[in-house]
Amino acid sequence: MRWSIRGRLLWSVIGAMAVLQIALATLVYEVMERAFRSDFDAVLAATARTLSAAVEQDGQELRADIDERDLPEFRRATQPDYFEVWRDDGQVLARSSSLKGGDLERVEGAVGAVTYRRVRLPDGRPGRAAVLQFVPKSDDEGQHRARRTATVGVARDRAPLDAQMAVLTWLLASGTGGTIAISFLVGMIIVRRGLAPLNRLAAEISSIDQADLSARVPSRMLPAELVPVVERLNDLLRRLEDAFARERSFTSDAAHELRTPLAGLRATIDVALARPRATTEYREALSDCLTIVQHTQTLTDHLLALARMEGDQAGAQRESLLVADLVDAAWRPLAPTVARRQLKLSAQIAPTITCTADRSLLLTILTELASNAAEYTEDGGRIDLAAVAVAGAVEVVIANTGCRLPPEAAERVFERFWRGDESRSQTGIHAGLGLTLVQRAVAAIGGSVAVSICDGTFAVRLRLPDRPSSRAPEVP
Amino acid sequence: MRVLVVEDYLPIQKAVAKSLREAGCAVDTSADGEEALWFASNNEYDVVVLDLMLPGLDGLSVLRRLRAGGGSSHVLLLTARDSVQDRVRGLDAGADDYLVKPFAMEELLARVRALARRAYCAKNPTIAVADLHIDTSRQEVSRGGQGLSLTAREYALLEYLAMRAGQVVSRADIWEHLYEFRADADSNVVDVYIGYLRRKLERAGQPSLIQTIRGVGYSLRGPS
Repeated sequence: MRWSIRGRLLWSVIGAMAVLQIALATLVYEVMERAFRSDFDAVLAATARTLSAAVEQDGQELRADIDERDLPEFRRATQPDYFEVWRDDGQVLARSSSLKGGDLERVEGAVGAVTYRRVRLPDGRPGRAAVLQFVPKSDDEGQHRARRTATVGVARDRAPLDAQMAVLTWLLASGTGGTIAISFLVGMIIVRRGLAPLNRLAAEISSIDQADLSARVPSRMLPAELVPVVERLNDLLRRLEDAFARERSFTSDAAHELRTPLAGLRATIDVALARPRATTEYREALSDCLTIVQHTQTLTDHLLALARMEGDQAGAQRESLLVADLVDAAWRPLAPTVARRQLKLSAQIAPTITCTADRSLLLTILTELASNAAEYTEDGGRIDLAAVAVAGAVEVVIANTGCRLPPEAAERVFERFWRGDESRSQTGIHAGLGLTLVQRAVAAIGGSVAVSICDGTFAVRLRLPDRPSSRAPEVP
Repeated sequence: MRVLVVEDYLPIQKAVAKSLREAGCAVDTSADGEEALWFASNNEYDVVVLDLMLPGLDGLSVLRRLRAGGGSSHVLLLTARDSVQDRVRGLDAGADDYLVKPFAMEELLARVRALARRAYCAKNPTIAVADLHIDTSRQEVSRGGQGLSLTAREYALLEYLAMRAGQVVSRADIWEHLYEFRADADSNVVDVYIGYLRRKLERAGQPSLIQTIRGVGYSLRGPS
């Protein structure tokens, strides 16, 4: 079973309280017991000393002159007290009538000291005895005769002491038990009250709908300890909501974007199949379908590349690359298009300029920008490529003529699925993801990209990092 | 019936236009919002098929401006966006119908036909003039129970006359509704097609259903 804060708090508080209470009760018991016993013993000792005063040494003999009439406690018919006086040779000098000729136990001790013991009284009751060894007083003061010692033992029923102790025990036990029970109840209430904000928080959190991440946990009315937790949670919810929203909009944009070529395919096929047609018409329909499929493929490739880039930006490797080589590699596949459309391509890139980037990412960027330029430049138009090294970076510019976008469109070209005016009507379809892809890829290699449109020239300015590294640039 | 197709995605534009033309419609096409507005304000279209996601001026703005300018053509919106809000926005902006991509061409044609009927306040897809029956949904024509075979052009002309049966329809009207913006034929072609149609509708012993109203135009009506 899982442990709970409430249980742990409650049981540790109650446990500590109980131990403390029991320790306190034990201490009180010990102190009180000692006090009661010493009172009891004081009476026994006083009786013993009184009796010892009645013993005298007369010459070599010891005499006990004890009149029981003055000592009624030894004459009681029931539950009497007992005394016995011995000589130093063990002979009994005197004994109380209650002993009925029997003996008390004689114990040797230091002279003048009283020894207390638990005893069993002759009638079987539990009792307590005080034994005093003493030097009896003598008449012949000054005659330094050998002094004898005597022993007096007094015993009495310890029932009053036991009764007192029983009352004390009962009082302490019931007091301690009651206190523990009450502290349990009070502790429960305190813990419950104290943990109420946690319960409220749990209820708030569990009421958050899984489908609706816009909910936030209110942090007012919560104790200070919980506020950071709630703030973190709200922060997490906010980020989760943003991520979900981004994901949703991307998926929905992508799905809608795929719908258009699908609709084109369906419409083209529908029309082709609507009635018997000449072979040339079928051929034309099939070629239309092929174009649509090719564009769809580009679109899905871009979507996939974007998704991969968002998932794994850390995977980018940095190496020193020759810019001229990569630009060349990006433009090589477009040579037939450049020739067919008579585009004037000029490159001003020093062969030694390097940048630090992930090779495949940079190639993606340059290929994308190259195909964009080749696509949108008017027939016979110009494309200028340039690269210059600036402090710690390389600036690559790709500019093409034939742009019909207004200058203010420059800000929007990086938006997902945004399309420039003529781009789509000219080519039939252009996914509008190319520049978004470029922007992400540039960010992944730690560079920046900007677009400017001026007098029909569309210019992309790439700033790529060029950090000195241990690896030498690859020379082809 | 004259239709304007506004769609920036060329494969769809091409297929829709071809389909409509094969159904006898005169079709103009545009891939651009501004151009579409110019077309719509300079010609009288029975139906405008309008894509919502257009570059530059988007479909909704085209629609709003078309309606603000008093354009009464029936508009069929074509879009990849299919949420309820999108549809509501489109219809509230003044569209008459809504079709989500991808669509079946058959459905688009049926919706265009339905909108065209609405343009002439005709709910019944079958038009009867005397013993002439025109099933506009199947584009079948019969006279006296006997089926007639017409070309798409002839059918379009007959359907237009039948939609306005009993009224006098001017040559200019016919020209305007049956010929595309870029059509290079001269208006004489209307008379030629009327001639073809008359011949096909002829039935022994019955009077001609297409009457020439001198100096005005033509009228399709039963013998009075």
